[in-house]
Amino acid sequence: MENDNTQNMPFMKENLRLSMPFKIVTGILIVLGIASVAFGFMQDPGRTWANYLVNNYYFFSIAMGGVFFFVIQYISQAGWSAGFKRVPEAMMAWLPFAAVFFLLLYFGTHSIYHWSHDEAVADDKLLAHKSPFLNVPFFYIRMVFYFGLWILFARMLRKFSLKEDLETGTKWFEKSEMYSKVFVFILAITFSFAGIDWIMSIDAHWYSTLFALKNMVAAFLHGSSILILIVLLLNGKGYFPFLNKYHLHDFSRYLFMLAIVWGYFWFAQFMIIWYGNIPEETIYYSVRWEKGWQTLFFLDIIVNWAVPFFVLLPIKASRNKYVILIVIFFLIIGQYIDLYLQVMPGTTGALKFGIVEAGMFLGYAGLFALVVGFTLSKANLIPKNHPYLDESLNHHFQ
Amino acid sequence: MSTKYKIGVFDEEKTLVASIKSLQERNLAIFDVFTPYPIHEVLHLLKRKSKLPTAGLIYGITGALSVLAFLYYTSVLDWPIDYGGKPFNSFPSFIVITIVLTILIVTITSLFTFSVRARLFPGQEAVIFDDRATDDKFIIVIDAELLGGDAANEAGRIMSESGAVEILEKDLAEKK
Repeated sequence: MENDNTQNMPFMKENLRLSMPFKIVTGILIVLGIASVAFGFMQDPGRTWANYLVNNYYFFSIAMGGVFFFVIQYISQAGWSAGFKRVPEAMMAWLPFAAVFFLLLYFGTHSIYHWSHDEAVADDKLLAHKSPFLNVPFFYIRMVFYFGLWILFARMLRKFSLKEDLETGTKWFEKSEMYSKVFVFILAITFSFAGIDWIMSIDAHWYSTLFALKNMVAAFLHGSSILILIVLLLNGKGYFPFLNKYHLHDFSRYLFMLAIVWGYFWFAQFMIIWYGNIPEETIYYSVRWEKGWQTLFFLDIIVNWAVPFFVLLPIKASRNKYVILIVIFFLIIGQYIDLYLQVMPGTTGALKFGIVEAGMFLGYAGLFALVVGFTLSKANLIPKNHPYLDESLNHHFQ
Repeated sequence: MSTKYKIGVFDEEKTLVASIKSLQERNLAIFDVFTPYPIHEVLHLLKRKSKLPTAGLIYGITGALSVLAFLYYTSVLDWPIDYGGKPFNSFPSFIVITIVLTILIVTITSLFTFSVRARLFPGQEAVIFDDRATDDKFIIVIDAELLGGDAANEAGRIMSESGAVEILEKDLAEKK
């Protein structure tokens, strides 16, 4: 009786069609981005490379958040999210683009990473000690290796998911679950190393064992927020007609839970260093505690932890579309602040926000939106034959 | 507390829910429902709202504030000790203890509140309307004294019409 719902549901608007205004707007954003990159390189190459890294990592982390979300749905055999799985799949499609952008960072290595200068390593015992790991060729070999693994798995999971549409049975579901389990282990290790390589090595003398974990949770948190944003925007256009308040509650639970975990790691890292008071560790925070950066430093924890936590605490708010959209808006800014604080003090050392920063972010956002939209339009928006699809379409709890 | 109850025993969730609905249609008050596992619809229909979360929130806020006040008293007012040049009133180092103690305070006081409200204390004999409710049966309890004889009989009739396998009458006073 209830199985017939799949046929009766009014999701005949099966495929997403990218509207002309969407293409025009993203096109304008991309042109704006390219223009501001060109402008930035003429004005101040160092600043532009630092921004390049911030934006690269920003959108890469969002794509990785989509990956995390996707694999965790399979591993936990979550039923409620089955109808939305095309969205994280589309976010994964950004990974090849991220790979290209990150490899292009090669030309800016010297203006971002202090350890890449031979003369700096020569005078510095610590950097010399780290040089077998932290040297330019190995850095890029590792980068290729990480991206190779991620893209391989992301493509495989996408392929399984599309094949599932053509066949009944749970064969592809079980296969996806199996590979998700493998992938999550690979992610834990490679993503930790990637965060250490690309972000933490900017301050090559400083280290924190919590750094990679915190950045991983940040990717998951902000990736989920973009995922929910895409779902809500599409729902506004009439897609995902089955979206109800229980789906919204489950989505906002992700934000709520991950914001707590993020805040926990942020505080754990900060408190250990603050309490231990060892100069080589506190230098990282003492720079970020100074006049210019201090506002951003406190804004970081407020926007990324306090806002989602207190706003989504009441059950009514966590089921309200508009409240969730406001939280997502804060989180989008939050990830930028977090990354800006991690990258800028060690590279340019100056607190600047102008045309270069804004333009580049908009350019990346445009390209990201275009890639995700294009991937979404390539397959039917609501999957078929997923064993938990009915549960997702009729999702209900107390 | 009244002593006379009418009890409807059901085999299935479906008939239980249907029976609750028809009882409510006729404005016959249900005293309580016991099921082997939680059923969302029953919670929904009975409109029982617990105030325990609100109590928990109040305990949490009071707990956190009193722990912070205690830490302030011990490490600033009563016995200030210089740890590596940090200020005596150093909020970050208070947080961990505050979180842990707040959780403890909320847990214990909530448990206590619940026990008092549910009239549970060591040695208290539980009122079990029908032993099978702890096994595989679903039961609806009607307060016969509150409703009066006629209404209670009507409730019993409605329950057996909508699928109760058994209708019992229980007088708690008899037991003593």
